[in-house]
Amino acid sequence: MPRVALFVTCLVDMFRPSVGFATVKLLEDAGCTVEVPEAQTCCGQPAYNSGDRATAAQIAQQVIVAFESYDYVVAPSGSCAGTIVKDYPDLVQGAWVPRAQALAAKTHEITSFLVDVLGVESVTADMPRLATYHDSCSGLRTLGVRDQPRKLLASTGVTVREMDEAEVCCGFGGTFCVKYPDISASMVADKVRHATDTGAELLLAGDLGCLMNMAGKASREGRGIEVRHVVEVLAGMTDTPAIGEPK
Amino acid sequence: MSARDRILGRIRRVATGDDIVWQGGGATPAIARTSGADRVERFIAQATAADATVTRLDGLADLPAALAEELRNRNLPAAIRHGAEPDFAALDWGTVAASQGMGRIDEPATLSKARCAMAETGTLVLTSGPDNPVTLTFLGETHFVVVDAADIEAGFEGVFADLRAAGSSPRTVNMVTGPSRSADIGQVLQLGAHGPIALHIFVLGA
Amino acid sequence: MSLHASTTPQFKQNSRDALADENLQSALRSARNGFVGKRAIARAKMGEDEFDALRNRGRDLKNHVLANLGDYLEAYEREVIASGGHVHWAETAADAQAIVLDICRKAGAKTVNKGKTMISEECGINDHLSANGITPVETDLGEYIIQLRDETPSHIIAPAVHVTVPQVREEFLKAHTHLDPDRDLSGLDTLLKEARAVLRAKYFEAQVGITGANMLIAETGQSVIVTNEGNGDLSQSLPKVHIVMASIEKIVPTMEDAATVLRILARSATGQDMSVYTTFSQGPRRAGDPDGPEEYHVVLLDNGRSNMLGTEFQDMLRCIRCGACMNHCPVYQTVGGHAYGWVYPGPMGAVLTPSLIGVEEGGHLPNASTFCGRCEDVCPMRIPLPKMMRHWREREFERNLTPAATRWGLGIWGWFAKRPALYRLATRGGMAGLRLLGRGRGRLGKVPLAGSWTDARDMPAPQGDTFMAQWRAKR
Repeated sequence: MPRVALFVTCLVDMFRPSVGFATVKLLEDAGCTVEVPEAQTCCGQPAYNSGDRATAAQIAQQVIVAFESYDYVVAPSGSCAGTIVKDYPDLVQGAWVPRAQALAAKTHEITSFLVDVLGVESVTADMPRLATYHDSCSGLRTLGVRDQPRKLLASTGVTVREMDEAEVCCGFGGTFCVKYPDISASMVADKVRHATDTGAELLLAGDLGCLMNMAGKASREGRGIEVRHVVEVLAGMTDTPAIGEPK
Repeated sequence: MSARDRILGRIRRVATGDDIVWQGGGATPAIARTSGADRVERFIAQATAADATVTRLDGLADLPAALAEELRNRNLPAAIRHGAEPDFAALDWGTVAASQGMGRIDEPATLSKARCAMAETGTLVLTSGPDNPVTLTFLGETHFVVVDAADIEAGFEGVFADLRAAGSSPRTVNMVTGPSRSADIGQVLQLGAHGPIALHIFVLGA
Repeated sequence: MSLHASTTPQFKQNSRDALADENLQSALRSARNGFVGKRAIARAKMGEDEFDALRNRGRDLKNHVLANLGDYLEAYEREVIASGGHVHWAETAADAQAIVLDICRKAGAKTVNKGKTMISEECGINDHLSANGITPVETDLGEYIIQLRDETPSHIIAPAVHVTVPQVREEFLKAHTHLDPDRDLSGLDTLLKEARAVLRAKYFEAQVGITGANMLIAETGQSVIVTNEGNGDLSQSLPKVHIVMASIEKIVPTMEDAATVLRILARSATGQDMSVYTTFSQGPRRAGDPDGPEEYHVVLLDNGRSNMLGTEFQDMLRCIRCGACMNHCPVYQTVGGHAYGWVYPGPMGAVLTPSLIGVEEGGHLPNASTFCGRCEDVCPMRIPLPKMMRHWREREFERNLTPAATRWGLGIWGWFAKRPALYRLATRGGMAGLRLLGRGRGRLGKVPLAGSWTDARDMPAPQGDTFMAQWRAKR
């Protein structure tokens, strides 16, 4: 039984714990033992992408220490997993490099872990609904997450109707959305328009940053589309209100 | 110290060489490895896809009649401008008024002989010289080009081998793939920007 | 002013202006998907694996050239001289201006025809010639349109991509005063025909033609240009003097290496298998040639590039200027090229601009990226553009150029992020506060200090206690 450490991600921890619990359910259903290391905060991406390499490296070392004893590290985010996989080995120095590489080799985004590592073909949720799927940038281009969530969604009965420019950034970009708010606002308006143009009831994605950006725009514009993290659907946990919706 | 020395000095301080014995080219794609009849077929298909038109002729003797017919069909005057290409000198152009020299400001139809061609992309390869004034390639409203089927190479590699084998070093080597075009007005592609509005190719032989 | 003047420090205002410009937005929308779809088809037609193998080969080729750049430049120079041409070395934009002006004066030039060259834009050649009584005429149709509008290019291969058809019509009516003011210019074809006729006459008037170079071949001393219109060829074949403006990194060793680049260049740029005209030029016209230039000059421009060698920005010198990165960039697609404020827009510009005009002046550009990674994904030379933008951010952070508010916010966040127990407390408290503000509505329309977010979109409220707290309570 693989021992899996959940890297919750800072946004899920703070804003949407249900995504964390859905991830745990999917992992346990697939036969994993899940643990949540206490010493986790964030992957360090905000510092790394703002040019503060020293802080980012210190956080990377903290994550390495907290997670390196597990068989696998899984995150409900292609962005945070991508940082550990792609950036940590470049970010740290000396004796930390092989440890960063070892951690990178066993760190995965949740849908990719289920499909590519565990060979999961289907999940048990039953969800005969029409959805559209936004491919978050890091997951797609750093980790090759594209077909895995769609494959698992198909097993729940979800029909994915692809939107135009599904692979184009939603305009979140971490600190980008507050540093360049006008450009970000225009990008997310395009994204939400493409999503609602499909006529789907559900807008799904695998990263909470993108989801909060899209959900916030959709509710501001009164688009009436339900925005959720893909794991909520895959785990059959859609009884919680959608992102940005009242109880 | 000259600018040259300063630039090269800065470069050499950091770019101190690698140990690679460089072999040019490489990674030749399959589309550049056709042979035999496929090669000619691909050339014609690619040239056509690039908006050129193509006629196949048995040989040079058929050219004057074919050219006269093309000019008629295109409502062009029965006149052609070409260079001192030996192949053309021997031909009887009949009713078509042929003149020799470089391109002029108003040039309804020009004729060139391609040194070779490239099936990979449907590209003609012309080399400048008295036989082939370079301006004929760009100033003709309709440009006619003759190429021997035997001179159609599969890809760039064959073309460069031909040029090296010829031993000449022309001022310009012009690779031409279809007629001139621009999408600079409203992002809508239109033919005939500055160069020819139409490109017609006569492929000689099999 | 030696370099082209920049408005890059006003990037934020530039982008707001761009977003409010309806003509620009309409032009950007119509360009948006054309380039992307066409590149994808061109790659698929060749075979994706083979296309990507050529990208690897292109990367290796340029890495090899850069490692041996001094030797290749000297070899190239020898070949140019052997074929009767001249090579001029320009360290700076001002040097390039002086060299070009000198050649033009010696040729007695009154007008100079120009094929498209970004190096000339970088060096401000047009302004310098004009200031010295020589009229530069841009002959690339897009460049001609923006020259009439007194603008700079907004895209490196489609310089007038921001201009709408009615705007072109208006410029032609204004500029071509020798024609009937009531003429019919309603069709796109009438506009093209008019430009063709006007520029055709100009080809025969100029004494000097300036072109750029997509490549310089060390083996043969040839310069290579790639165009679709044929203007670069008329510009170099009809005047007495041909000047090639090229930067030092344009070198490739052999003709076959030029083929490697050509096989990926047009496919990446416009989605064509091959551009219409690919021209290899070597020296002046040969004895007995009826046409072609009598003099051939190459201006080799450094302008900061040699300083990029050996740094984390060296890979940028592999760039072949195809424009694929900007064609696929969501930020470029949103604000267009002018917002970037200098010669090179989009992701390649975000890396190159700080290198060439300084990070103090160009520092906004590497920040104005979401790091979505699409540029690196499509770059034919596999340049790690996001990684290099991040390197610029690091330089800015080291030099205290990062805005104070950002540094302050990052400092506080970083302090907590390195102390998990305190971080737990702080996040629990913060989320409880946000939940209170949300008052069960599930989202917040306004959040103190978060106006940048909430001006355009709601802030989803936290669901409840943090995951970590709930997890600990459950297990």
